[in-house]
Amino acid sequence: MSLDYILTLVTFSNIFSILALSLNIITGYAGQVSLGHAAFFGIGAYTSAILAVKFGVGYWWTLLASVLISGVVGLFLGLPSLRVKHDFLVLATIGTNFVVVALFKYIDFFGGPYGIVGIPMARIFGIDLSTTGFAVYTSIWLVISTVLNLYINKVYLRYGFEAVKENEEAAESIGVSVSLFKIYAFTISGALAGLAGNLWAYQMGMVFPDDFSFSISISILTMLVLGGMGTTSGPILGAYTLTFLPEALRFIQDYRMLLYGLIIVLVMMYQPSGLLGKNGILRKAFKR
Amino acid sequence: MLKVKNVSKRFGGLQALKGVSFEVREGEIHALIGPNGAGKTTMFNIINGFIKPTSGHVYFMGKRIDGLRPSRIALMGMGRTFQLVRVFPEMTVLENVLAGIGKRVYHSLRVFSEAVKNEKNVKKAMKLIELCGLSKHVDQEASVLPLGIQRNLEIARALATDAKFLLLDEPASGLNDQETKGLAELIRKVNKSGVTVLFIEHDMRFTMGLAHTITVLDHGEKIAQGKPEDVAKNERVIEAYLGKSMTT
Amino acid sequence: MQDIVNALVLGSIYVLISVGLTLVYGILKILHIAHAGIYTLGAFLGLMFYHLTGNFWLALFLSIILTGIAGIGVYRYFYKRVLEESRIVPLVISIGLFIVMQDLYRLIWSPYRQPFAVSFGIGDIRLKGIVITEHQVIILIVTFVSLLSMYFLMNHTKLGLAMRACAEDMAIAGTLGVDVEKTISVAFFLGSALAALAGILVGVYENNVYPTMGEVPSYKSFVVIVLGGFGSLYGAVLAGFILAFTETILVAWKGFVLPRDAIAFLVMITVLMIKPEGLFRRATR
Repeated sequence: MSLDYILTLVTFSNIFSILALSLNIITGYAGQVSLGHAAFFGIGAYTSAILAVKFGVGYWWTLLASVLISGVVGLFLGLPSLRVKHDFLVLATIGTNFVVVALFKYIDFFGGPYGIVGIPMARIFGIDLSTTGFAVYTSIWLVISTVLNLYINKVYLRYGFEAVKENEEAAESIGVSVSLFKIYAFTISGALAGLAGNLWAYQMGMVFPDDFSFSISISILTMLVLGGMGTTSGPILGAYTLTFLPEALRFIQDYRMLLYGLIIVLVMMYQPSGLLGKNGILRKAFKR
Repeated sequence: MLKVKNVSKRFGGLQALKGVSFEVREGEIHALIGPNGAGKTTMFNIINGFIKPTSGHVYFMGKRIDGLRPSRIALMGMGRTFQLVRVFPEMTVLENVLAGIGKRVYHSLRVFSEAVKNEKNVKKAMKLIELCGLSKHVDQEASVLPLGIQRNLEIARALATDAKFLLLDEPASGLNDQETKGLAELIRKVNKSGVTVLFIEHDMRFTMGLAHTITVLDHGEKIAQGKPEDVAKNERVIEAYLGKSMTT
Repeated sequence: MQDIVNALVLGSIYVLISVGLTLVYGILKILHIAHAGIYTLGAFLGLMFYHLTGNFWLALFLSIILTGIAGIGVYRYFYKRVLEESRIVPLVISIGLFIVMQDLYRLIWSPYRQPFAVSFGIGDIRLKGIVITEHQVIILIVTFVSLLSMYFLMNHTKLGLAMRACAEDMAIAGTLGVDVEKTISVAFFLGSALAALAGILVGVYENNVYPTMGEVPSYKSFVVIVLGGFGSLYGAVLAGFILAFTETILVAWKGFVLPRDAIAFLVMITVLMIKPEGLFRRATR
């Protein structure tokens, strides 16, 4: 593996860490299982791609637009969670993912099945970001996202989420508006996924509908659960592990996916709250 | 403090409440009793906002509250506990109480800025924990505590919201004699500190010993209200409720 | 008219997959994504036995039995030990299993599409310009017979009663003397057998069997059971046909640009917004 390749993997890992951290807010904190997170990711990426390619908008403005638009869409797509619960919600989020991808594919404005190509290199503070530059740049955003998660843990927002997750009726009884906190969760999470979308668009230089399909949502959820829902370090560990694992398994090329699936199954069976979750082996190792 | 005016509730073909009115005065301990199916739980859920009455109104501290969300009603100063205990199982005792203290901020933008474990909040939480006899369990996860302790924790959490009015849904159910005695003592203590209490209960001994006023429901109608000793002598009550339970 | 026939056939397939899934979901309340992997297994085993024996119905029978047993294995070795965990855990395990299964099929049976050509010798039926192919006839008949047997099994046998009791409340069913463990296994067996049946029929209908043929059913079947009210067998049957007809109508309607899958989900989301409990669930107070 060349250094450039490893740096690219670091960039991917950073982007997926941010996605897993953002899903963590909906699923790990507020307890609303979403299997459609790639939709927010895609909306962020398409926002940046369209603004940059079709309207020649500069980098910072595309970043801001991605975060804002994904956040607002998150707010609206969060509304179903007020109506439907549990497994119905899981299915509703899957459905949202499919509909969003279909819209990318079948509406000309979004470039159709061939997506949008020709996104310029990100230029910040007068520097064009190369492979190394982008790995560093995404790392900075990962640190910022992590700090944001840690901050949420400290303030009452987290307690409101936790209350909603553990018992909605009890939450209401202490003045937590369940609807309001679900909307908070989806909005913040959407905005963070929008950030990841912006990074993805500029890293790839192009966006395709299938980059944001249901299977990507599955990957994001798997990263989160494997690492440990509700923790801050877990989602990052999950994202790095599942991004590097297939590469590490390259030497047994033909059995790669098989092992990948098996590892997911085995970790979940023997570490159901994740490697860094409550009773996770890694959590214990760190404590000692 | 709480006024229920002519409240009716219909579920499909079932008339659960028929024009019930009663009042809970500030500072008292008030019990709502009645045989199974009398409509107590329905009444309770209307008061705390989980369901809306078909007709009639509920006033809390002079303001109409029927139709408001439970969290809005909680904001106005009404705390509650549940028949099947609903503490936050994965939080510690301290965290449960701190969650209750957050009531002031959940409806404002301060949820984004106020630190949970600041000195003031922790101090207040520890005081409530002591009041409710939970000092030994401060850092234990709520799910591992015995039922009696969990019920005290629920009361502590409700008090943490600065509730002036406490709704207790069958507080003694599932408790042993000793725990029941402790609970009655705690409720009295809380009441003396200025909190009005309304509870529903099956345990007659517990109710008679604790309540200042009792309202009796039967088949969705109010059949009596008064002091425990008067209610105990009321013929309709004996017929509808006490008679049955005394003979069994 | 031709559209009606096609929609009926499509609906039959949706129903076969979804009824099996509903059996499992009804009892364990697990989002059993790997059901679609079981469906693919059924198709491959059916094809394999067809090549070995040359007799379609014998191959069908063998595949159904073996796939049913594989279904029991999925329960015993994977789901059983995580039933007490948060519901997301079995969901992720199921996703992992689905990945593993698809890759195993690729390694065993090659990644390529394999033809599954069967002729039943009854010929196509032509009626006033409508063509019903013999494969469509077989699908309609098999579905009808399976549903009838399921109806009988669920309503007129002890086993059916046990399954319904477990779906209602497993703990209570247990105290009433139902062998819960056995009942769950039976539900997995039957559900997986129905999936195998669907897999083989689709394989023959499309003359195609391949490792990733379960992708679409993996989520489509959930749309059906959501519409049906999550756990209701009658609901799943009705919803399967309703979905097939809606899709067919909207696809035929030229102004509609979205593909089938997006339509299915749009229908589902719309229904959920109006009736959060699905179309056919009796309101739980």
